[in-house]
Amino acid sequence: MQVANRPSSDALNSDGTIKDFAVEPSVVLKSPSLHDLTEVISRPIEAKATLKWYIALAVSASLLMLEMVCWGISFYYGSGMWGNNIPVAWAFPIVNFVFWIGIGHAGTLISAILFLFRQKWRNGIARFAEGMTIFAVMCAGLFPLFHTGRPWLPLYLMPYPNKHAVWVNFLSPLVWDVFAVSTYFTVSLFFWYTGLIPDFATLRDRTLGKDLISKIKKSVYSVLSLGWRFSNRHWRHYERVYLILAGLSTPLVLSVHTIVSFDFAVSGLPGWHTTIFPPYFVAGAIFSGFAMVVTVLVFIRYIFDMQHLITVETLEKMNKIILLTGTIVGYAYGMEFFIAWYSGNLIEQFTFINRAFGPYAWAYWIMISCNVISPQMFWFRKLRRSVPIMFVISIFVNIGMWFERYVITVTSLARDFLPSSWGWYNPTLVDFGLLLGSFGMFFTLTLLFVKFMPVVSIAEIKSVMDEAKPSHHGGDH
Amino acid sequence: MQQIHKPKLKYWQALEELEGSPEALEARAHEFKQGVTDDFDIQEMGGVSRRRFLAAMGASAAFALTSCKSYLDHGKVVPYNNQTEQIVIGRPTFFASVVTGRNDAASVLVRTREGRPLNLTGNPDNPFSQGRVSGHFLASLMELYDPERLQKPQKADGNSVTWKEADEAILKALQGDKQVALVFNRVMSPSFHQLLQEFQAKYKQVKVYSQTTFHDGMRHAAWKKSHGTDVFPCLHWDKADVILALESDFLGNESNLEIERLYASRRDVMSKEHFNRLYVAEGNLSQTGMNADYRLRLRPDAQYALVMGLLNELGSSASSTTLASVVKEQGLSETVLKSLVADLKASHGKALVYAGDRLPEAVHIAVNALNDLLGASALYRDEAEVHLMPATSAADLNALIAAMKGGEVGAVIHVNSNPVFDLPNDSGYADALAKVALSVTLAQRVSETSAKSTYVLPLHHDLESWGDYKLHTGLHLIQQPVILPIHDSRHLGGLFETWLKGDSAAYNEDLSLTYLQDYWQKQVYPKAKPLADFKSFWNAALHDGFVQYAEPVAKPGPFRAAALSEAKAPESGKEFVVLLGRSYATGEGELAHNGWLQEVPHPVTKVVWDNYAAVSVTAAKELGIKTDDLVTVTVGNRSLELPALVQPGMADKVIAIELGYGRSVAGTIGTGVGFNANVLLSNAEQTSPWILGKANLAKANGKHHLVTTQLHHAFDVDREQNLQFTRGIVKEANYQKYLKDPHEAEMHGHHLVNVTKMHTYEGVKWGMAVDSNKCTGCGSCIMACNVENNVPIVGPDQVNKGREMHWMRLDRYYAGTPEEPSVTLQVMICQHCDNAPCEVVCPVNATNHSPDGLNQMAYNRCVGTRYCSNNCPYKVRRFNFFDYRDRFAKSFYTQEVHQLQHNPEVTVRSRGVMEKCTFCVQRIMWARQEAIREKRPLKGSDVTVACQEVCPSGAIVFGDVNDPESDISKYRKHVTGYHVLEEVNARPNVTYVAKLRNTHA
Repeated sequence: MQVANRPSSDALNSDGTIKDFAVEPSVVLKSPSLHDLTEVISRPIEAKATLKWYIALAVSASLLMLEMVCWGISFYYGSGMWGNNIPVAWAFPIVNFVFWIGIGHAGTLISAILFLFRQKWRNGIARFAEGMTIFAVMCAGLFPLFHTGRPWLPLYLMPYPNKHAVWVNFLSPLVWDVFAVSTYFTVSLFFWYTGLIPDFATLRDRTLGKDLISKIKKSVYSVLSLGWRFSNRHWRHYERVYLILAGLSTPLVLSVHTIVSFDFAVSGLPGWHTTIFPPYFVAGAIFSGFAMVVTVLVFIRYIFDMQHLITVETLEKMNKIILLTGTIVGYAYGMEFFIAWYSGNLIEQFTFINRAFGPYAWAYWIMISCNVISPQMFWFRKLRRSVPIMFVISIFVNIGMWFERYVITVTSLARDFLPSSWGWYNPTLVDFGLLLGSFGMFFTLTLLFVKFMPVVSIAEIKSVMDEAKPSHHGGDH
Repeated sequence: MQQIHKPKLKYWQALEELEGSPEALEARAHEFKQGVTDDFDIQEMGGVSRRRFLAAMGASAAFALTSCKSYLDHGKVVPYNNQTEQIVIGRPTFFASVVTGRNDAASVLVRTREGRPLNLTGNPDNPFSQGRVSGHFLASLMELYDPERLQKPQKADGNSVTWKEADEAILKALQGDKQVALVFNRVMSPSFHQLLQEFQAKYKQVKVYSQTTFHDGMRHAAWKKSHGTDVFPCLHWDKADVILALESDFLGNESNLEIERLYASRRDVMSKEHFNRLYVAEGNLSQTGMNADYRLRLRPDAQYALVMGLLNELGSSASSTTLASVVKEQGLSETVLKSLVADLKASHGKALVYAGDRLPEAVHIAVNALNDLLGASALYRDEAEVHLMPATSAADLNALIAAMKGGEVGAVIHVNSNPVFDLPNDSGYADALAKVALSVTLAQRVSETSAKSTYVLPLHHDLESWGDYKLHTGLHLIQQPVILPIHDSRHLGGLFETWLKGDSAAYNEDLSLTYLQDYWQKQVYPKAKPLADFKSFWNAALHDGFVQYAEPVAKPGPFRAAALSEAKAPESGKEFVVLLGRSYATGEGELAHNGWLQEVPHPVTKVVWDNYAAVSVTAAKELGIKTDDLVTVTVGNRSLELPALVQPGMADKVIAIELGYGRSVAGTIGTGVGFNANVLLSNAEQTSPWILGKANLAKANGKHHLVTTQLHHAFDVDREQNLQFTRGIVKEANYQKYLKDPHEAEMHGHHLVNVTKMHTYEGVKWGMAVDSNKCTGCGSCIMACNVENNVPIVGPDQVNKGREMHWMRLDRYYAGTPEEPSVTLQVMICQHCDNAPCEVVCPVNATNHSPDGLNQMAYNRCVGTRYCSNNCPYKVRRFNFFDYRDRFAKSFYTQEVHQLQHNPEVTVRSRGVMEKCTFCVQRIMWARQEAIREKRPLKGSDVTVACQEVCPSGAIVFGDVNDPESDISKYRKHVTGYHVLEEVNARPNVTYVAKLRNTHA
């Protein structure tokens, strides 16, 4: 491993920007040297933070502060600070929870399932997607915790031996949820960290300064890299662990959102009580997750000049998945209507007609146009490969998927069985604060991540370079 | 005793015990041996046992501690030094007493715990109310503990004065030569009435007035003109086959507890007696109108024409108005009228026409003529209403005001009355009052009148007072205090006696009691002709809360035909007519300070904390008015801007407004709630002060959001119509078809199958039945539930968000057209389902099922995920989104006095937990405990739940469904019994009896 403390000239123009590599259908655009790759990936971490980064951090940290203030208000005064009521006892917080959990799914899918399927194109984006999973689950996790009326009693949701001799209710999907989400978070965290170990070692080795800050950095990287020395044995163990964790994560991609969908499907509420929910929710999660990855990656490859590592080809592949899952989601919307009609259940039928034409129709049609119509643009190769268009559509998809959860949660509750108990939901400023704030939290964590950790896996990206191919000979490594 | 001190080596205490003799086994079952809990006796200290030594040490330590200044509860926790006679800690004691309203009084049983009254129920022995009580009286408990009750004598600005100062000022005025006016509401106490006469005998210049906003003076005047007697008989409501109510809310606002019970006794599917048939002709949709079998929409000033038309149709020569012309002019339904005429003709002696209190005298006279024609005198009972003092006429009040203005009045003393608010603006009462040298208000709380009075003197609450009341012949109610006066207030009777004696120092708390006993000994005791001596008689009367004695009532004379021809026909017009009414919640405004009442939904519109102008659908369409729009109502030169509510079922050109809102001095809770529609009242001579013709309605700028507990029904969305029928929520059938073949009304749904085995309940299993035919929708049950279960008040802002906390709902469903809706009411509470959907989804097992079939809530375990509410098909669960006691009106109801009101047997729920109807589990537990103590099996009839206890019509049945003999089992098996949303298969335990409409098949 070559060590350098200034950027190599090969990959960069004289003004410091990346050279325009010729377009070639490959994961990494026509090769910089392996050394240059390390340089490019490490540069954001080692160089001084840019003004762009500071501005972005200031905005998102402010939103994070807003979220904390809103949580504080909710904690101090009670959940009455939100718009929730009877009958709409679940609203924004649960919508946000499902939304963020869904976002997380793309990360696991990319890093685990695509890894198992040996999809090389994932290597450029896997690290980031995994990070995104962690942050999204963190954003999501806050909601159900603080959403309870008495958030100081979360341990009641844990099956622990206690003197009251009360056990949790294993029939309740909310208990499954606790297990599913905490397992998901733990496995994702380990998976992510395992992948980071060789890169931490690289960073450790690259930190050579003699000043105090460098020394601290070096010690931190040393601890985090767990004494990694790039030895063959290390690599062998690493590959094995990575494979095992990928194997463990794979079922989680399906199970977590399945269980989240059970929160709805297990209840008897018309509009929630449907067997299609598990596949529909998983597809929706991947749909929204990929859209979020596209949104953020487009942004990051622009900020950190990584167009050659996160290529248009990679993005295009993601857009194909968005098209596929978007179509599955659209099919599910249609199927819900069909089953409502086919079942002959009048209350079920009313719920769906009410969704599309009742007082919440605006939310329904936002959902349909964003989730079903907008991804259809990706049938066209040109649009699929156009960065501005995919950026806009991915944002549409995120909006649509948020509204999907809103439509499911709020419209079903607002008008259920007895017309006498029908109600209306109006979100409060605190609700909006928490929604915006959760984005603040997500982007704050993302920005810190891209500043302090390699956003593209240095080790993995190299495995898809020409040099890694068996046919390759020569080179400097 | 000895055995305790001498330890033995044996493990039994006597041979009998070893042998298992029953006495010994029983003795062992007692927790404490005799003597262990005996009183502390210093003489026995010689042979100090370990137990006594510890007791003495503990007591000394406790004494030492109480002397420490920082002791938290210093001065509040005081144990009984001597056990009081009736109070056993932890056990309720019941006292019979009376609570009063402005116009009525109710015989009640007060439940006290540790000396404080906690709950009221009707007095079950009282032959009129038979244990029922309406919501207003229940809510009067709140007034006892109202933090804003007057606590000491004061001036209008709140500066305190001494009783002596006030007494002397009043005595000076009484001894002066100018008039002294006493303004009461209705005087209902015979002993006080006698005291007043003595008072007037001594102080000649004293004049007594009886003033209320609404009264039945016109009915009485008409009765006198028609039958030559003042005595209006009580009616056999239960014997009438056909009832025609004319703008009369006899099941609601104009009801007494008896009418509802008697009426409902003819709506009983369990009884052999056939249903009665109720026709209602009214302009507004009233509570009675909602219960009608046939309903005619008729403007109130056209009622006279209708009655005259009916007279003509039934063959009376007194009327030349043909029914056909009335039908044509008022656009009434011909089929309904045909059926009405046929029914009236067919039910001679069994038909009753009843005109509302607000209708003009002429209508009442015409109705008397019609009743005479129908032979309704067969329905007059040998009992009559008692009116000790007639309502003061407008002319007399005007004379008083003129005298006040002219400086001829030396003092005005208001007793609980509030004429500054009540009387029409143009009478100028407030200005006149300012010209009076001494004005005094005796009341329990401030009012518009007290704010303009020299002295404001606090009176005892009913539950702190002695008194007697008489509303019906032969039934004399007695009122006893159940708690010592909380504040520095005084007995009304005692005050008047003090003034009668002319000495301020003469007052003591016993004055009233002595006078009352004296009155009873002289006046009541001889009439009752008891066999016992007076003391026993008195004690028995106190125990029962009333005495009954034979009191002959003169039969009303025959109808005087001339009365009808003499009566001046009231004017009828084509313009808008304003119909003013008493508020279902705040009465005439005197109850505006009561948060409980403000938050009970209006029986028809479900509006809370507000009043409005109810306008018809046609008028709203014509003028482009929508609910919540501000409108201007103008009558003559008087006008009022208030929000409109488009009310289905109203006559086209009627504007109905409830008075009793817009109080300007009514404490924290009542001030500024709603709009003061008293400004529409006029002092001028009119046929009825509450029916104002030639009105104008115009849309004004702006909106005022009316808060309701149920969304407004959207008649214009097709898919939302009749959902109550298509979803199996409400089931209805025709009574006549049901009579022919009960299976016509077969309401049981499909046989539902469970994939899992159902739990079997052995022993008692609780269930409820609600008879939709008896329920009139009064909402007393909601109030009873609130009082019993410490249900908090949340305020209009929270109700608007859909966060009301009431455990009971009274759902109202409209069917038919917006012009002619048919209404169904449904009590909705937790259904305690066998397959409770809430239970499976609770992650922490906070809601679960008891072995006796209750769906339980463990508040301590609840973390507040609210999933249970989402999964409840009936949406009967209520969530504490805030700590409502703390949040509402700046912690108004957490002030010290009010804390005393909470029922100690029910947990006060904290923020963040879910709650709902428990089937009054505290009462069930109490009954079970008693049964165990008495060594007998618990029976379903041992438990009466709070809502059931007060229901005036007896529509709620509760009991053991496993007992085949119980009432509840009969309802569950009855052909008309059904469960709401049966197909959801939650297996609810609340059975509803289908509504049988007694229309022609």
